[in-house]
Amino acid sequence: MITKKRSTVIINIIMAMITLLFLSPFYIPFSYAFKTPLEIALSPLSFPTSFSFDNFIEAFEKANFSTVFSNTVIVTIFSVMLSVTVCTMAAYIIERKNNKFYNRILYLFMAALMLPFQTVMFPLYSQFKTFGLLNSLLGLIIAFAGFKIGFSTFLISRFVKTVPIELEEAAIIDGAGRYTLFFRIVVPLLKPIIMTSVVMGALGAWNEFMIPLVLATNQKVHTLAVSQYYFIGQYSMQVNVAFAYILASMIPILALYFLLQKYIVDGVTAGAVKS
Amino acid sequence: MKKIKDELIDFTFVLPALLLFVFVLVAPFLQGVGVAFTNWDGFSPTYDFVGLKNLRVLLTDSQLLLPIKNTLLFTGVTVVCVNVLGLAVAIGLNQKIKGAALMRTIMFMPIVTSITMASIIWKYIYSDVFPLALGFSSPLASKEWVMLGISAICIWRDVGFAMVIYYAALKGIPEELIEASTIDGANAWQRFWHITFPLISPAVTTNIVYWICWGLQVYAYVATATGGGPAGSSETVAMYVYNYTFPFQKAGYGQMAGLVMMFCIYIISTTVTRILRKREEML
Repeated sequence: MITKKRSTVIINIIMAMITLLFLSPFYIPFSYAFKTPLEIALSPLSFPTSFSFDNFIEAFEKANFSTVFSNTVIVTIFSVMLSVTVCTMAAYIIERKNNKFYNRILYLFMAALMLPFQTVMFPLYSQFKTFGLLNSLLGLIIAFAGFKIGFSTFLISRFVKTVPIELEEAAIIDGAGRYTLFFRIVVPLLKPIIMTSVVMGALGAWNEFMIPLVLATNQKVHTLAVSQYYFIGQYSMQVNVAFAYILASMIPILALYFLLQKYIVDGVTAGAVKS
Repeated sequence: MKKIKDELIDFTFVLPALLLFVFVLVAPFLQGVGVAFTNWDGFSPTYDFVGLKNLRVLLTDSQLLLPIKNTLLFTGVTVVCVNVLGLAVAIGLNQKIKGAALMRTIMFMPIVTSITMASIIWKYIYSDVFPLALGFSSPLASKEWVMLGISAICIWRDVGFAMVIYYAALKGIPEELIEASTIDGANAWQRFWHITFPLISPAVTTNIVYWICWGLQVYAYVATATGGGPAGSSETVAMYVYNYTFPFQKAGYGQMAGLVMMFCIYIISTTVTRILRKREEML
């Protein structure tokens, strides 16, 4: 019994050390963003001597922060709403029908998980050009949502399997149509997996790099991940300003993560345990 | 009549997803197959059909060897490290230890940062902290070490994600099984290999295949950390495709390279899946 206790303590210490190791890189943006260039050059690891927000003000002005930020919020919210809505409906009917035709559609969606972005990148670009969707927020919303369909439909369909069908059958006897059934009975039962899809989708959309790199070359429609890329290229001499920008764009999504993190673990767990 | 109407109503549930999917993925994919056999630069109104010329040039391009080597190295290192560390951390956190919930929250934090952010943070850790604390210079500046330096960024960012999936799989193992084997006198190592590992092997298979697919497509980590440098030494296959398609304005050739890349990823991932599934049955 004593050895058991001791081994638990050792595991506890090792785990705490690994966790600290993974946390430590975050020290860089948090400290560099407040330092002066001189402080960074002299002692990169020391704490900033003063907490001034000058770096942030400079970064906001030069990087067009308010536009980029609102672009990112708009594209994230609407692409997640679009993909979660269409994928929930699709996953529901695919599981409930469970016949050859609908299963083939699911396989088609899932095949896309293996499709590299580079393979469709150019034709997607020229097709968006034809439809006038290039360099527009609407175009980004459509593309973000489209690339999420494979994963989200798959994730939600596994959960639909676990929802008891008796409730729906009772409602059918009462004469409710498919849509009434879906919105009144099914959607409330799917709430956990819908929340998981929303959180995972929002994390992905907020940080998406490849799609806006190709489809949003105009600065007016840049989102944060791409804007950081160009901004750092321009401001590699002013590390403190660059990191102020990095930190400012990281904080909202970190806050969202801390608030809603239980849905990530719960959602993945639900899928893994019940499948 | 009513039955047909019901079927049509049911079909409207899948229709929006299907339309979006066709518009963003299927239609571009099919158009891309056509473009791959042309010499189109990507913007001129005219271009010629060149048959298999692009494929011939691609397969004999010695410039492609280093990107292939880099892509395979990155994939191999990240697949092994992300999965071994992810599983180890998941097992560690699944013991009854203090602060497990907080540790889980922190371990997942890196994936919340964008790849751009992760690369920039690590660029400065490598250039400012490494020489000071460990006494060696940034791996990103060395031709030999650059791919491992980039792989480490991906490992830092992805371990938490692998950990969540393994943690979920571990939670699915009935506790009675573990207890029974403990009473039978199995030690921790035996319990892991004979009970835990076989039961979580579907998650292992899924994870390995996921990270192989992502690794073989790596672009963003390299673009943001080194831009392919120093002197092209960290170029990957995806970067080769991107460079030919956009900056070099050889869309037809780039598209062919993209198709071949997809074909290779498909072959590798289905082969690995088949081998791992067979192993699962033997466990």
